[in-house]
Amino acid sequence: MILSPGSILRVGVLVLLAVVLQLSGMSQLGILGGHIDLVVLAVAAVAYYGGSVSGCATGFAAGFLLDLVSGATMGVSSLVLTATGYGVGRFRELRDPSHGLLPMGVGAAATGGFVVAFAAVSFMLDVGASVSPLVIRDAIVTTLLNALLALPVFTGARRLLGPALKVDPLERRRRRQPPRETGPLGLRGLEV
Amino acid sequence: MYDRNVVRRRRAALAVFVALSIAILTAYFGESGGGFFHALQRGAQEAFAPIETGASRALKPVRDLFGWAGDTFDAKGENKDLRKEVDRLRSALAESQTAQRDASQLKGLVGLRQDDGFPRGTEPVAARVIGRSPNVWYSSITIDKGSSDGVKVDQPVIAAGSDPDKDEVGGLAGKVTSVTGGTAQVTLITDASIGVAAQVMPSGATGVVRPAVGNPRDLLMEFVEGGRVTENTTVATSGFKIEKGQSLFPRGIPIGRVTDVNLDEVEIYQRVHLEPFADLKSIDIVQVLTRRPSGAQTAGVITP
Repeated sequence: MILSPGSILRVGVLVLLAVVLQLSGMSQLGILGGHIDLVVLAVAAVAYYGGSVSGCATGFAAGFLLDLVSGATMGVSSLVLTATGYGVGRFRELRDPSHGLLPMGVGAAATGGFVVAFAAVSFMLDVGASVSPLVIRDAIVTTLLNALLALPVFTGARRLLGPALKVDPLERRRRRQPPRETGPLGLRGLEV
Repeated sequence: MYDRNVVRRRRAALAVFVALSIAILTAYFGESGGGFFHALQRGAQEAFAPIETGASRALKPVRDLFGWAGDTFDAKGENKDLRKEVDRLRSALAESQTAQRDASQLKGLVGLRQDDGFPRGTEPVAARVIGRSPNVWYSSITIDKGSSDGVKVDQPVIAAGSDPDKDEVGGLAGKVTSVTGGTAQVTLITDASIGVAAQVMPSGATGVVRPAVGNPRDLLMEFVEGGRVTENTTVATSGFKIEKGQSLFPRGIPIGRVTDVNLDEVEIYQRVHLEPFADLKSIDIVQVLTRRPSGAQTAGVITP
């Protein structure tokens, strides 16, 4: 991602929107015992399009804002979302994926990793109360819901971040497609 | 080909943000309630309150739509249980009406002014929920009333039941943990840090109610003393102090109904499961009890 005031502003708007929507709407919207987690998807989207450095910076900022506004223990979400953003970013950098449906897998993996890591950190901080097995159901449902919602969120994030991106995986995928047959002159690859 | 500078920058960025997160976490745990990060949280909550209020109202139709769809799925399964519940409540109503008449006659005889259970003189302040914690590990809500409305830290909060029309009137929901001018943070009784001194009615057995993290329809009553607890009995705040710190909950706020009682192998330790009266999963409106009843006993809350 190109580091500029404009790109920081775009990522800031995306994070702010995700946090406000999460706290005011999605957290209160229970679906089959789980809920959508927009913040993880937003961080994963930025990391997917922007790389590991942008991913971990966005993860830290989103986690900090989330803990700040939700009144949770500060630092927990920052730590876990930093790792999530870095992980997704590194996946993008190492594997160089470009399949159109990949955001679903990335969203699911990021959410699954986030809920597991969040639970681990919460345990390490000594929860001090018994934990219901329904936590596992909540984690699974949240992961599945996020997988379903990943495509529109990633598409929205890509449009918002578009001008700030150095490399767009979707554009690269388009370039990889074989040239089309065009016209009687047999000019291949030229869009006449 | 790897550019060494890129690798270094990437690793440095990760190390910096992880170190910052751990530093914030450590500082947050180390400081008191009036420390820098707690004050920052209060400031942020105050700044975000108007945005959250607006967003919460704007998204209400969407929440209602999803709620309606979910309710329709659940309704079929609940119908059978509710019919049994109605039968049970009918007989309970007849018993309670008889008991109420007896009680009022006895009151007249001895000249006592008794409460019907719920503490009086607590001055409830109604508030709308404008935010909710995003995961099951931290169970808290943000409400749109704050210190300017008389809300203070540690005041008890009550909420309605899932269906007030079916006598599910609600009960204890949590306590206020931080306050700004126009908003307050309420830690629910399903938060891992909460423990409420409670008493089973009418047997009088006492214990501490704690959450089962991840399941808002299940609470656990531990350290039960004073007799065997049976199913379908009511649990309310006992008004006892169970830990250091100041008194919080007035005696007599209903918490939930006993759904299951487990005994350990030697049958000296009861583990009681309760279903909370308050519908903690979908709270829209709560009441903060802003004044402590004079002369009443109050219960404490364990905090880490």
